[in-house]
Amino acid sequence: MSWKRYQNEFIAISTFILMILAYMYKHNQVVSHVEESKSVTYTLEEIKEGIALKKIWTDKKINKKIEVFKIIVPSSKVSWSKKNKKITASYQGLSSNELNNLIIKILNTPVQITLLDIQKTGLTYNMEFKCKW
Amino acid sequence: MNFIRKTKELLLAHTSMQRVTLSKSVNVMLTPQFYTLKKEELPVKYAYQAKKIAPSLFEGLLEDGGTYDYIVFKEGDAWVFIAYDIERIRKFLQSKGIAIEKISKLFFAQQSVNSFTTPLSLSDKESLAVIDDTVVVVPSIALSDKGQSVLVFDEKFTPKEGGFSIKGTTKNSMITQTQALSLAAIFMLFAGIFMVEGSRYTGENQVENEELQSLYEEYPALENTSTRKNIIDKYKNIDSAERKKRDVIKSLSKMIFKGVTLNSVAMNEKSFKAQFSCIDNDVAKRVKKLAKKLHYNTSKVKNSTDLTVEGTL
Repeated sequence: MSWKRYQNEFIAISTFILMILAYMYKHNQVVSHVEESKSVTYTLEEIKEGIALKKIWTDKKINKKIEVFKIIVPSSKVSWSKKNKKITASYQGLSSNELNNLIIKILNTPVQITLLDIQKTGLTYNMEFKCKW
Repeated sequence: MNFIRKTKELLLAHTSMQRVTLSKSVNVMLTPQFYTLKKEELPVKYAYQAKKIAPSLFEGLLEDGGTYDYIVFKEGDAWVFIAYDIERIRKFLQSKGIAIEKISKLFFAQQSVNSFTTPLSLSDKESLAVIDDTVVVVPSIALSDKGQSVLVFDEKFTPKEGGFSIKGTTKNSMITQTQALSLAAIFMLFAGIFMVEGSRYTGENQVENEELQSLYEEYPALENTSTRKNIIDKYKNIDSAERKKRDVIKSLSKMIFKGVTLNSVAMNEKSFKAQFSCIDNDVAKRVKKLAKKLHYNTSKVKNSTDLTVEGTL
């Protein structure tokens, strides 16, 4: 059998196959583009989230910010101990307003609360507070 | 050096020809036995325009059942129309041992009308002659020289132009060469479009990749996937635990209203416990309801209206 007999079909079929291959190439490009795009977007979001969380919980100005816990109440009512990145504070005879203000400050400061112990004694409050960062 | 174009052997195909054996490709000239000819003077300028009207010119002249193709060329002021049945020609040539693959080009005798200066004998009974500028088959007996022609048919009869190939229309082909080329052109066009579209997707994520690279440069530790995961997990855990603690403190503070006094709060990294002093049972119930809503455990202190609220972090 001579191929020349079927050369017309051969031309049509070979170009058709070429077209299918080109379509597959395009399809693969689209799929890999979408996958890569998803992966890059996911990694970017992950990194941005990580950076944002790190910025919150390893605030470089934290040493200044926690000083507020000491000065927000009269110094006579505070017993303060700071070691490395840990604080132990004891408060005695806090009024309810002082306690409120102190608690609000603690809540708004990015420190890890390890202990919070509030006890009412008569009309005032005693509080023990430990945190780290 | 030979500047003369080398012409292939020209074979005259007529119904009374002998069977031949070919070793190399040849050109074939067809006698009027294989085509129908018509001359018309038409007000058209181009051959393709004339070709469009060819089928209507031959209406009623051609045998039924055939599939006809047409060629058109100009002779002086007139257009020459030739209708031929390629299948019939093919069958005839094959019956005479002429393989289609061996045929380089097909010509019609009319295309070399000027070469037939004298009648050309085809057989004892028939000759080719030119009458009114048209090549026709005539009975030899009607000719004055009784077929004793000295005209030798050879490659000098090959027209300079106008031949066509029979190879593109082989019998076994389901499609003609023109159709095949048209399809190929369409497929190639689509293939080109797909290739261009596909290549356009290369480097589409450039902006995101650049942003990613700049972040990697700023925070090299985050480039490694497992290190990044560890760092992110660490801060996510801290974040969720600390947010929970703060939410608990906020929700406990909401339980302090008129008639409720906070007695104590104890919170560590795993749990919390708060004790409220309530003025009466109704207030205690209200506090309990609020605590239950937040899924905290509640318990009443014996012989009092005090309430203990506790839970895990």
